[in-house]
Amino acid sequence: MNLLSSMRRQRFLLNCAPISARQPADRSMRAALSRADGSAEFTDQQKFDRAVAQVVHLIAIPAESAEWFSEKDVLPVAKRSWKSTLRNPAVWAISIAVVVIAGVFVFNFVSHLNDFPGSRTARKLLGIAASTRPVMLDPVNAEAGTLSDLFFMKHGLEHYDVPAEFAEFATIGCRVFEDDESRRIAQIWVSEKRMQFFLFPAERDTKTGAVQRFPGWRYVHQEGWTGAVTEHSGVCFMAAIRGGDKELAPYLSQPRQ
Amino acid sequence: MLGDLRKAQEIFHATLREAAVRAARGDVPDEPFWLFSDARWRCLEATKSDLQPEPIEMEERDVTADAESQIQRLDPMQLAVWISAAPDPQRSALALFYLDEFDYRDILDIADLKLTELSHLLSTGRRQLQAWLDSKFPKHNKA
Repeated sequence: MNLLSSMRRQRFLLNCAPISARQPADRSMRAALSRADGSAEFTDQQKFDRAVAQVVHLIAIPAESAEWFSEKDVLPVAKRSWKSTLRNPAVWAISIAVVVIAGVFVFNFVSHLNDFPGSRTARKLLGIAASTRPVMLDPVNAEAGTLSDLFFMKHGLEHYDVPAEFAEFATIGCRVFEDDESRRIAQIWVSEKRMQFFLFPAERDTKTGAVQRFPGWRYVHQEGWTGAVTEHSGVCFMAAIRGGDKELAPYLSQPRQ
Repeated sequence: MLGDLRKAQEIFHATLREAAVRAARGDVPDEPFWLFSDARWRCLEATKSDLQPEPIEMEERDVTADAESQIQRLDPMQLAVWISAAPDPQRSALALFYLDEFDYRDILDIADLKLTELSHLLSTGRRQLQAWLDSKFPKHNKA
């Protein structure tokens, strides 16, 4: 609608402007009234209309007919029923928004229900596992359990030990890298089901610096990958595999937490 | 609408009677303003056979700030007769609008008008009424 036709429509609406405030005005009428507010021409029109309406109300109604009228409005404002309220698109929009917000809240709550110290890092490392190619690692032909000496001797990483459950797996390659928080991560690729192991520093309390420990194995999931994480001597070990919990469960000696 | 109390009363009762019969039959239309539309059509039907005024060009004047005092001096029955003498649909538009019971959308519905038509009818009606007031209460005769 161009400016001219919009102004013409406003003029048309103002000519039909409600006489008294008790009449409901729709949005376009309210907009037209607000734009005309204070104009001398419109003020004269309103005074004129009010004066005529007052005289019209003085027109005598025959007593026989007058008794049909009560003091109430001819058209009482109808109370909205539940049905009509439910049919209102605004109510629908708000309801859907509330459901979506509640859904996101519940999803976040449930997904953080199994969080443990280090779970955030573990999820990030699962993302790295998904994008790692064998050529990115240094080739190593040894059992995974023997690599803790390599990590200590070559990189000065203490307690970067592979747990006994995974110590005998043949290694294809390994590397040590720093993550975006400058923590040193050890990554090992084994031939068994193309699993990857990660060793990384456990979370520490920001005030005391104490390691935040947790017992047993904990699962994390990210982008179709599953990780089983355990903590020992301030270092977390994660065995990562593409698939679900069932793929990892047979390798874990302790029951799932 | 009619400018005649007796006729108005007859139509009022006829409309209510018809509404009562329809309600008893469970035949009440869905349209929210059917009763008012029905009453309007009955009024138009009743005046069809009356002597019709010759169509003349009515004088028009701009609405003035002191129109309020002129209107207050009007006899209500004179105003009723003036409105009822207007040709339809202007008569319906003025009658429904100055009853001050209906929103403009309700009036469009009852009188089967478009916004542009209603706007024109009301605007012209005001200007004609102002001209009539000026002729009836000339400025130099103001109390």
